[in-house]
Amino acid sequence: MPSINEKITEEIRKLASSLLDSGTVAAFLGFTKGTLPGRMQPFVARKPEDAQKLHWNSFCVVNLANYLPALLKSFEPPRRPNDPPPEGPLPKVGVLATGCWSRNMVVQIQENQIDRDRVVIVGISSRGMVDRKKLLEKVGGREITSIDEDDHSLTVTGQGFEEKINRWDVVRDNCQTCVHPDPVIYDELIGELGGERKIPDRFRQVDEIEALSIDERWSWFQNEISSCIRCYACRNACPLCYCPTCFVDDSRPQWVGKSIDKVDTALFHILRAYHCAGRCTDCGSCESVCPMGIRMRLFTKKLQKDVLELYDFEPGLDLETPLPLSTYRMDDPQDFILTHIKKGEEK
Amino acid sequence: METGKNSDWEPKIIAFLCNWCSYAGADLAGVSRYQYPPSIRIVRVPCSGRISANLILDALRSGADGVLVSGCHPGDCHYISGNLYARRRFALLERFLEFIGIEPGRVNFTWISASEGEQFAKVAQEVTERVKRLGPARKLVKEIESCPA
Amino acid sequence: MSTPKGSVLVVGGGIAGVQAALDLADSGFYVHLVEKSSAIGGSMSQLDKTFPTNDCSACILSPKLVEAGRHLNINLLTLSEVLDVSGEPGNFTVRVKQNPRYVDPNKCIACGTCAQKCPKKVPNEFDLGLGKRKAIYLRYPQAVPLKYAIDPKACIYLNKPGRCGFCQKVCPTGAINFDEKPKELSLEVGTIILALGFKPFDPTSLDFTGYGKLNNVVTSMEFERLLSPSGPCMGHLERPSDKKEPKKIAWLQCIGSRDINRACHGYCSSVCCMYAIKQAVIAKEHAQSGDLASSIFYMDMRTHGKGFEAYYERAKEQGIEFHRARVHTVLPAENDNLTLRYTDTKGNVHEEEFELVVLSVGLETDPGVMKLCHELGIQLDQDNFISTTPFAPVATNRQGIYVCGAVCEPKDIPQSVMEASAAACKAQELLSKARWTETKKKEFPPERNVYAEPPRVGVFVCSCGINIASVVDVKEVTEYAKTLPGVVFAQNNLFTCSQDTINQMAEIIKRERLNRVVVASCTPRTHEPLFQETLREAGINKFLFEMANIRDQDSWVHQNWPEKATEKAKDLVRMAVAKVLGDEPLPYNQLPVTKKALVIGAGVAGMVSALSLADQGFPVCLVERKDRLGGHARKFFRTWQGQPMQEYLEELTKRIEDHPLVEIELGATVEEVSGSVGQFKTRLSNGKDVEHGVAIVAVGAESYKPRTGKWNYLYGKNPNVFTLLELDQRFIKADKALSGLNQAVFIHCVGSRVPERPYCSRVCCTHAIDQALKLKELNPDMDIFMLYRDIRTYGKREHLYQEAREKGIIFIRYDLEHLPVASEEDGNIVIEVEDQIIGERIRLHPDILVLASGVRPRDDVGELSKLFKCAMTQEGFLLEAHMKLRPVDFATDGVYLAGLCHYPKPVEETIAQAQAAASRAAMILSKDAVPAESITAQVNPMKCTGCGVCTRVCAYHAVAIDQNSGKAAVDTGLCKGCGACVAGCRSDAITLRNLGNEQLMAEVEAAMEG
Repeated sequence: MPSINEKITEEIRKLASSLLDSGTVAAFLGFTKGTLPGRMQPFVARKPEDAQKLHWNSFCVVNLANYLPALLKSFEPPRRPNDPPPEGPLPKVGVLATGCWSRNMVVQIQENQIDRDRVVIVGISSRGMVDRKKLLEKVGGREITSIDEDDHSLTVTGQGFEEKINRWDVVRDNCQTCVHPDPVIYDELIGELGGERKIPDRFRQVDEIEALSIDERWSWFQNEISSCIRCYACRNACPLCYCPTCFVDDSRPQWVGKSIDKVDTALFHILRAYHCAGRCTDCGSCESVCPMGIRMRLFTKKLQKDVLELYDFEPGLDLETPLPLSTYRMDDPQDFILTHIKKGEEK
Repeated sequence: METGKNSDWEPKIIAFLCNWCSYAGADLAGVSRYQYPPSIRIVRVPCSGRISANLILDALRSGADGVLVSGCHPGDCHYISGNLYARRRFALLERFLEFIGIEPGRVNFTWISASEGEQFAKVAQEVTERVKRLGPARKLVKEIESCPA
Repeated sequence: MSTPKGSVLVVGGGIAGVQAALDLADSGFYVHLVEKSSAIGGSMSQLDKTFPTNDCSACILSPKLVEAGRHLNINLLTLSEVLDVSGEPGNFTVRVKQNPRYVDPNKCIACGTCAQKCPKKVPNEFDLGLGKRKAIYLRYPQAVPLKYAIDPKACIYLNKPGRCGFCQKVCPTGAINFDEKPKELSLEVGTIILALGFKPFDPTSLDFTGYGKLNNVVTSMEFERLLSPSGPCMGHLERPSDKKEPKKIAWLQCIGSRDINRACHGYCSSVCCMYAIKQAVIAKEHAQSGDLASSIFYMDMRTHGKGFEAYYERAKEQGIEFHRARVHTVLPAENDNLTLRYTDTKGNVHEEEFELVVLSVGLETDPGVMKLCHELGIQLDQDNFISTTPFAPVATNRQGIYVCGAVCEPKDIPQSVMEASAAACKAQELLSKARWTETKKKEFPPERNVYAEPPRVGVFVCSCGINIASVVDVKEVTEYAKTLPGVVFAQNNLFTCSQDTINQMAEIIKRERLNRVVVASCTPRTHEPLFQETLREAGINKFLFEMANIRDQDSWVHQNWPEKATEKAKDLVRMAVAKVLGDEPLPYNQLPVTKKALVIGAGVAGMVSALSLADQGFPVCLVERKDRLGGHARKFFRTWQGQPMQEYLEELTKRIEDHPLVEIELGATVEEVSGSVGQFKTRLSNGKDVEHGVAIVAVGAESYKPRTGKWNYLYGKNPNVFTLLELDQRFIKADKALSGLNQAVFIHCVGSRVPERPYCSRVCCTHAIDQALKLKELNPDMDIFMLYRDIRTYGKREHLYQEAREKGIIFIRYDLEHLPVASEEDGNIVIEVEDQIIGERIRLHPDILVLASGVRPRDDVGELSKLFKCAMTQEGFLLEAHMKLRPVDFATDGVYLAGLCHYPKPVEETIAQAQAAASRAAMILSKDAVPAESITAQVNPMKCTGCGVCTRVCAYHAVAIDQNSGKAAVDTGLCKGCGACVAGCRSDAITLRNLGNEQLMAEVEAAMEG
């Protein structure tokens, strides 16, 4: 009996092929297997026969929404900055979307980065993607030569070892704490919806840090980012980091130095996270692609927690609710305003 | 209203004040001769809504021991709603900075109207005292040559 | 009337005259401003601080004077007097005599060498003789024009030619001309505005005060000079006898006011209570030892203006003592001290010693003014003030001649400014056909293109007299400024805002080829426009300018840390220099003007404003929420001078209804407002859209009805309890029953001057007393009792109070601890009150009880104020742009206010304010375009992602995503330059011109470099 992922892979191929064949879409964005076990890479199928290369498993960690604007743009005729938009309908693109990716697409639609009419969103309820670092840890850091997966376990083999690992144990933190695994917008659905998940302590990781003293938190933060090599993989993998000139690359003004000085690194991480405030859907791409294992998701998760707490908002759940930093309420909380001095602080 | 007996160190605090309320309030403190410590360096901006997280962080990076951002009271913004957008930006930034270990009191936010000269002097006093208790800011100050820890 | 002249004569260069001149000159008329002394500024320039904001008088006045002095359409005629007037309204011929200055103003550079060398010292009249000046002198340091003058009575040379003449020898520019002769000018003008001001009462004749005999008895005007930093003791409070700082000062109120017997002035001078409190507060601040004891001796505390009552309460908290007592003698005591003998409210006689006594002298008309009025045929009233009527508050008996300020009744500065604008309004109505016929146009020299030039910054460091220099080492700051990158010139000035320094600055900019300027002085909020214009005159763009606020935000707030204040001043200068280096020249944007006004509220204020604008030829849309015109005034019986209100109202309504330029929208309110000055678009509740260039808010207020609580006094329970307006209704209906009453009781201050409504409603005392007199008229035998806290019949209203007492109306004072108590016995009203003089409880059995309850703001004013982006006071009245000098403007351009929504006021003041609002509105409507914001947002399309955050956070809908490019684009006409978009943009793609991130960062980083 085929596994869930095998069934999904089959359905993806069938659907992509028919969308391409009928000319509904000019391209279909999914994943194909990478060169290493447990590495998937984004793949664009442009012909019906390409669809056979599409694949789905627990290692699809990169948010496909990241590639969508550029892919859409590639189908537009070239034009100069002030030329009128091309007339007539432009080619569409099909794309796979789990819960967090679809929410991310919602944000991008709200921010005019994706034209909803030009995408055929193929929704897949996410069962959680695997954290390769957790997996490596399970096998003691030994080199993995192949991974076989069924619905609830992974069989990992390498030079002189084969281990069966409980899949959920190595699922990414963001997926483990995800409450919206289902796509929020889609045109086609593959598999079944899993429904909202109840996670009472979805912000547990943030709560733990908040419980630390101010100095401990600073040490934690310093320690967390100390290995950063400023490669910007986190930024590049993030679909929300779409500025043509990122603040880290700007020289007028120079917000952040380009060195790996700890202050510059800290400012980079603070601002990167802050720029995602009220927008980040916790897809985990940033963390998944970090070569140094920095858990920068904790930063965005903190902001996500505060946005929910202060403004009762979660990004990407619908197209209508305005993003929290471009709206306000007269009675927004303002405990932080001086003269409302916080308890316990003035010890 | 004077302090500073506990230490001779005078912190430097960057105050971003909106032109219409808080800057006028600071002027009124002067007109009314309310005295406050000479630690505040006022940067006049049109509206508290002009102030971004980037600017606040830049002040800290440049070596400010503290930052104060003040705008019109909610509902009084000369530009209708600038301070209300600002309030959301600041609320998230303030919590985030505290989360990563920046001491509460380094970055302060308040509302001061054009008629609150005394309030301005009090806030200047209070912010100075807070920052003095914390001591010189080190965490986000970029040094020319990093000293070994 | 044939074609009228397009110019106006304003007589008197005090604040009222200057305001009238500026209003007219800015709306298309040429103004001749005649001033008898050598400089404009009037009495206000002699004041130290102004109540209730404690603004430095010179500081807020100075920019206006300089503006008037520099105005292309104001012809300043100092040392001049009007001889006579002939002709008719629209075409007057005025003969003016201009006395010689003996100093050529075109040559004088105000260096002061002449005065240094002049051997002749005479008492300085600007300091009321407390200090000395030379025979060649400047009236005061910030004088406009800043030109020396020779006093011909004192000058040795002029009296004995050949004797002295030192000044002529030392003058570096050869400006002295002893041969100058008086000139006679003949001016052709359309109208004349008299702003002749007042003279402080001279108490020499009042023996009991000891004035003139005892050294340490001074008048309040003298005390202003003692407090003033530019006064005889440089702002260090000293008493005249021994130059020691007094530790105990008494103020005696009502000197030369409310005194028929000794001073022959029955009226109340209206301003003395407030200025005495102000002086007491300021003196306490000045006192270096910090233990000054201040006592004010008064009859009634009259704090009846906006913010006054709160000021009074604050003064009490600050420890200023208030004695309700009239001092009968001031006696000499040891050490030049003074003993006051006075009787308290219980009749006990006290003696107390003081080190200085200040006489709160009243205001009266100068005999010279009376003479002029006589020659011009202008009618004076019994108090020698110019006669006006409540329905034409700025018109004299002679058509085409208007009046404003304290010459028609003692009044404070905002009231004078209001009347000045009102007089300007009346002049415009008469001459509207001649607008722009005689004006000149300001031509600035072409601006130098500075883009390619390396920065050449000039820094001007101001001493502000001693305001800055006494704390900050300005010389050190100046020297420091010279070391800053980009700075090629720095100098220190005594008063950077004086005309002379400003002219010099323009010269220096040209000479040194400066392309950036920094002034380190006071606050840009008042002085930036002045300096910016100087840059334009010197041929560089005015946005290449920054100020460092080293006074309000440095020297004034760090008085005890001179060294640190100096360090801070250096930091502030360095920050300003860092900022100015990034400044670029900006365009002078303009907004076209829709020549139509929207007036909201059709009470007296709204109708007067609307009519005045329509009479000037501007279409008006008048919106009224009710279904009829008239507002609050419908309920009024008569003015306090006895004119029936309803007749006036009828006539006014008819004129409005018949006017072809007024469209009336009844039963409508304002729902939505967009746009800004010059081009508003307003949606009314009836669905109509109105496009208009200006708006006047005149939505009125409500009367307070004490339905519950401790001020209830059976109101709503007993049919014979009324409010003032309810009694007025009965007068209007000529209710016969009123003549049959035997006893009436009025309770004053019902629900006023208490923490919930901490302001005085200004009108109720006069209204109640007038009603009491009307009742007496109906039945002379009626017993009438007035239960009051302070009687506030300010100005000429005091005559009513005198009349009431003469007619046997009984006044009984109560205070908040001893409120009158009302009860019912068999349906009859019983009032119990403690008479504080005899110390007994009195029971009264009135047939009617009248509650003088105050005026309260309307609850819906808040919403309206938000629509027009206007501010409100804590009490809920609308807040003008400046309490003293902009009493009818809002901070929002193009929106004005008038009437009760501003503050409670009687009808004559409402009419004056409504006319003033029309005058201010006409300043916009008379132009085809008004200047618009230059500091606007700008998009860098290379960085823009089109995400739209900027479009959502912009409150003015000034940013939109361009459909073609997909990038944000700014409509600079709508942009107000707040920068919300800049802070919202993650991509740094939108910036504010001259307030970009790079510049602010440079400023912040500069702050840290010290």
